[in-house]
Amino acid sequence: MDPVTRRTFLQTTAAAATTLALPSLGKGWYALAGGAEAAYFEKEFGITDALCRKVLAQALGKGGDFAELYFEHTVSNWLGLEDGKVNRAFGQVDLGVGIRTVAGDQIGYGFTQQLDEASMLAAAATAATIASGSATTPAAALAWGKVGSFYPLDRLLSEVPLEPKVQLVQTLNERCFAGSKLIAKVTAQLHDQQKRILIVTSDGVKVEDLQPRVYLQATVVAEKDGKRERAGWNYGGRRSLSFFTPEVVADIARQATDRALIMFEAVPAPAGEVPVVLGPGVTGVLLHEAIGHGMEADFNRKGMSTYATMLGRKVAEPFVTILDDGTVPELLGAINVDDEGTPGQRTVLVDKGILTSYMHDRISARHYKVKPTGNGRRQSYQHYIQPRMRNTYMLAGPSTPEELIRQAGTGIYVQDVANGEVKIGEGDFAFYVSQGRMIQGGKLGAPIKDINIMGNGPKMLANTIGVANDFEFARQGTGACGKGGQGVPVGFGQPTILVKSLTVGGVKA
Amino acid sequence: MNKDMREIAAGAIKIATDAGAWAAAADITSRRRVEIGYRERKPETIKESSTRDLQLSLYVDGRYSAQGTSDLRPAALKRFVTDAVAATRLIAPDPMRTLPDPKYYQGRVERDLGLVDPAYSSWTAADRHAWAKTLEAACLARGKDRLVSVSTQVSDSHVDHLRLASNGFEGVEESTFYQAVLRVTAQDQGDRRPNGFNFAVAMSRKALPSPEEIGAVAADRTLALLGAKKIKTETLPIIIENRGVDRVIGSLLEAMSGRAVQQKQSFLADKKGQRIASELLTLVDDPFVPGGLGSSLFDGEGMTAKRRVMIDAGVLKELWVSWYYSRKLGCEPTSGGSFNLLIPPGKRSVAEIMKDLGRGILITDFIGGNSNSTTGDASVGISGQLFDKGQIAHPVSEMNIAGNTLAFWSNLVEVANDPWLYGGDRYPSLVFKDVVVAGV
Repeated sequence: MDPVTRRTFLQTTAAAATTLALPSLGKGWYALAGGAEAAYFEKEFGITDALCRKVLAQALGKGGDFAELYFEHTVSNWLGLEDGKVNRAFGQVDLGVGIRTVAGDQIGYGFTQQLDEASMLAAAATAATIASGSATTPAAALAWGKVGSFYPLDRLLSEVPLEPKVQLVQTLNERCFAGSKLIAKVTAQLHDQQKRILIVTSDGVKVEDLQPRVYLQATVVAEKDGKRERAGWNYGGRRSLSFFTPEVVADIARQATDRALIMFEAVPAPAGEVPVVLGPGVTGVLLHEAIGHGMEADFNRKGMSTYATMLGRKVAEPFVTILDDGTVPELLGAINVDDEGTPGQRTVLVDKGILTSYMHDRISARHYKVKPTGNGRRQSYQHYIQPRMRNTYMLAGPSTPEELIRQAGTGIYVQDVANGEVKIGEGDFAFYVSQGRMIQGGKLGAPIKDINIMGNGPKMLANTIGVANDFEFARQGTGACGKGGQGVPVGFGQPTILVKSLTVGGVKA
Repeated sequence: MNKDMREIAAGAIKIATDAGAWAAAADITSRRRVEIGYRERKPETIKESSTRDLQLSLYVDGRYSAQGTSDLRPAALKRFVTDAVAATRLIAPDPMRTLPDPKYYQGRVERDLGLVDPAYSSWTAADRHAWAKTLEAACLARGKDRLVSVSTQVSDSHVDHLRLASNGFEGVEESTFYQAVLRVTAQDQGDRRPNGFNFAVAMSRKALPSPEEIGAVAADRTLALLGAKKIKTETLPIIIENRGVDRVIGSLLEAMSGRAVQQKQSFLADKKGQRIASELLTLVDDPFVPGGLGSSLFDGEGMTAKRRVMIDAGVLKELWVSWYYSRKLGCEPTSGGSFNLLIPPGKRSVAEIMKDLGRGILITDFIGGNSNSTTGDASVGISGQLFDKGQIAHPVSEMNIAGNTLAFWSNLVEVANDPWLYGGDRYPSLVFKDVVVAGV
């Protein structure tokens, strides 16, 4: 057991190149943008402006710069298939409010699962203990703030009946078995989550959002000549369940079975430093670990990050531009508004090779005297805000993937990444390659699997010597990032890139 | 015990059975937690909470679902349970899914597992602040101006848990829990700022090291990372420090579950009774360790806890098999998960072993990595200390070890005498020979 929570991907599954485009975005009938359609928490739980102001006043009862209330009502469902039948269902309802008082860089936090006045005032009194001055007063009136609309739904997830969901999982199972006679076992699951939040700040802003999340996943085990291999695949995001068309379901099954079958051909990977080509899509986990976490402003404010004194410096070649973006429609890291009321937006981390901006929440933005970038996020009402990534990706460059593979000569091609981790201060990072290829003579060779690849963030950026024109977002629905004991959904994207050298953790000395 | 907990659990089961459920079980957990963080000699965070959550397992017309909620208002709970029973009817039947046979509830001997600190109620806000301040001060005193940042966190919890099942199980557990954590950053050459940490967890305050010691060790562990280098790829003996063993033994444990075996996702599926590791590896699952973080009289389904030798001198003796997977596999259940895992300590200290080995790497931390329980393939990044001629030479980082789990564990050549007592499972440092450590 390791209670020291570090920055680790919890459960990204593998992904790779597909030619499917993002579905076109219609303006859903259900889009919360503040104003007339909002006020879910007032209707359902009697949360009025007057009550919020009273609780905020209590939270600022001993002073402090600002306070906020974060109401959450989340309904999550899982349907699981094992041994041919959808024979297990799991559900979870979370309801509560978190109350934060901020004094400088100090945070007081209380939360309660009871949304009555007395319980909320008690939680606010806990938050207030961080300050020790005289009371400050919240804004006299509350007004709806602006939020984006990056994940309109054609139907609320809570209104989709169980039967078609069961059918979806059942069909996925059949598709997997139909894919090959070598498939011995299939497990599949459908997850859907509907998170409703109301944020009320002592500055007088209130915003509501409805954050959907879905994924459909298959894991298959194949048997051949007494050997077994396992692989999985999923798609998802902040989408309606109608996203899972028969074609998408078939694609999930095909991706999972193809990956399991090719592993029988895998050869041992080398150990040591070699050129590495990262294929498009989910390999963006590399950016998340190598630079993303190190650019979260709290680590820099405290001097904990290797990037703490690098702002404005050239860190990469001019063809490298890296963004963190809450506005990519339907991607897992999309947010209409962050969890402290700042509207969803995009932030350029590296602009044509120059390190340009950290990712900020309100506390770090004040410290650096800049505007918050909309990166203030939290796992739930039980957690306080930290600067966190959203969708992190690198823009396309001038090369072709084939050119980069040729340029690598002898090395490793990374196709699917399962998880990663970084040490913020050293900048050392690792990511786990569930599947890839050898590169020999400038061409893709035999498959490889289950290898950890390591590098150092600033060195990796400087050593990114080629970026291709095949940019792609990962469309997985399971990407979760862990930091300080909190998990939040995040997304990735990347074109094919060539890194001059990384340490490959293979077995051949 | 929160006195209405039993009432809520029994009430939820009654609503379920009234709505037509054949059987039901309820777990209700009440938790109070306080957390204080310090940085720059002032509080950075203060957080306090009380939560109460209900988890229900429902068995309806041969079908199964599990549902959780924190909304325990009577009307809301009634609607929640009734809806859950109705929804369960819509999924496929699973004849293997039932509550455990009540015979597995029997034989429980009530005894004090030392899970409640009698001094917990006298632990005040002032005590928490004093601890956090002392941790920070001790770390700063040791590390001085070489440290860039020191964050400390002290937290404690009091937990009540009750499980009730409609076929006669009732069990309660009360526990307290203290944790101290430091995250430390030091300035190295250039832009490198090694992050070190130290932590200790225990069920009673007396079982923790002093805050002075925890803080000083945090500084020492961080300063030991300064000047880390990557060396050439080399086949070496490695010593995995006691507190890091949980990270490498995971690839073995994952394959030892009944579910992994039944789903053909375990490389140990047909290995029960066979040698799977060096004869130096004995792994015991002991539910009755006094003050052990995983100590309990029953498992998650209420089955009576038993001490089990899982691996005996390298031979796989047992798997963790829950009631459900025991029925699917047609074997006896053991327990759905582990309690406290122990590897009996050896005779020599890490320093003595290093002297004997001459050259190798003492691994003190890991990065990334994963394993494949179907095949046993594993790969993980490491950092630690290179030792040469029996003496620490310099720190290493950004290196990697990889291989097949079975081959790796057959190369276990010594178990040290130093089980670490301040985390969950209690492992001593372990020594492996002939490991390819990937570097430059």
